[in-house]
Amino acid sequence: MCDNKQKASNAEVTLGMVLEALTFAAESPVSVEQICSVYAEVTASDVLPNEEAVEEAVENLNASFEQEGRALRIQYWAGGLRMATTATVAPFLEAFFQREQARRLTRPLMETLAIIAYKQPSTKVEVDAVRGVDSGYAIRKLLSLDLLSIIGRADVPGRPILYTTTDRFLEEFGLNDIDGLPNLRQAEELLGDANFDQERLHLLMPNGLDDNGQSRANNSSDDQATA
Amino acid sequence: MYRVELEDFEGPLDLLLLLINRREVDIFDIPIAQITNEYLAYVQLMDSINLDGVADYIYFAALLISIKARMLLPQPEIDTEEEDFDPRQELVDRLLEYIRYKDAAETLNQQLEERSRLFTRGKASTPAEVESPEKEVLVQTTIFELMNALRLVLEEAPEEETITIESQRYSIEDQSERIRRILFTERRVSFRDLVRGQARSFIVVTFLAILEMAYGHEICILNVSDENAFVIEKGELENV
Repeated sequence: MCDNKQKASNAEVTLGMVLEALTFAAESPVSVEQICSVYAEVTASDVLPNEEAVEEAVENLNASFEQEGRALRIQYWAGGLRMATTATVAPFLEAFFQREQARRLTRPLMETLAIIAYKQPSTKVEVDAVRGVDSGYAIRKLLSLDLLSIIGRADVPGRPILYTTTDRFLEEFGLNDIDGLPNLRQAEELLGDANFDQERLHLLMPNGLDDNGQSRANNSSDDQATA
Repeated sequence: MYRVELEDFEGPLDLLLLLINRREVDIFDIPIAQITNEYLAYVQLMDSINLDGVADYIYFAALLISIKARMLLPQPEIDTEEEDFDPRQELVDRLLEYIRYKDAAETLNQQLEERSRLFTRGKASTPAEVESPEKEVLVQTTIFELMNALRLVLEEAPEEETITIESQRYSIEDQSERIRRILFTERRVSFRDLVRGQARSFIVVTFLAILEMAYGHEICILNVSDENAFVIEKGELENV
């Protein structure tokens, strides 16, 4: 692949350019290791650029994007690097893709996902215990959305299935890793929070987090009972 | 009136939180007798309209009753060394635990919304998702509109000739299974096609099966313009 001519021209390609090109072309987060090894392979350099060098390149690239008033940034998601648009241009993209509102999950799905995210690896029994309702449907749905995955069975009687969150989850929620989850707040702190009643009100709103499909389905069954 | 409200609760803990919140009482000092009565009243009401949902509520009904009973009993002489044990402890612990995860769910939801405002090329390069051959909208269909669609299809159905009393030939379960099989191969199917040439009882049971599946978020109901009957599609409309 790399004849001498190419090597010579490759010499002018900086790590920053490689970073920009790979994150532009890739359709999923690119790991720092991948960037390092690709760069070393193509430049046939014996010295692998290290993690710090890539991080520095990310910083420089983001700084120059910002300086030049560009609509792109490199993000750390799911343990990799991803080029994404800025929040400021979101309305234009939403208009272009005719997306009416931000992506949402229904409240049962969100609660189930939160419990498993914080307790992982976790079982259905644990989720059911916190929510007080059967979470089988929610778990299946989250598995099919690739936000959860099965990593095995717990070594306790009944050998229940253990669930964890996926890289897809990290990426969809803009997290680099699980440690990036916001701290689970203490109940005392929440009860002392003046905003909490408001928050809870929002959570209790029938269609607060539902999409149209769901609220329609609910309406149907409500009315069914009436009819 | 209440019925609509009931459907809005996700489960027994939400109901309890609402009852506690409505009375504006301290979660650490729940007036058990009142809350128990109100809770049971809701559960009874639920029982009369929607048997399915009630099972989840039974555990807390039993817990509330047992707490109420224990609180009525005279307190035995307690060793001054030991802390007073409040029979309400388990209930409070579970409510507090639930509140924490509700809060976490809300925080995560905000995070999802913020993140979804940042577009990536992987997503951006697949506008096919948005593209649809016909202009169709997910409508807030009411049961009355659906019933109207049912009526129109029923009018076209051939009369059933024999009038014999027999056990129900079609069950909702069987019809749900049939719809699942069809949706396994077809992306979507119209109600009219589902019941074409079938007898009235078949149509009605199929209709009920669709409602059941839509309620269980297994399918979603779409209205395509210029057609009287609606269309069903597998899955719910979630963008993730």
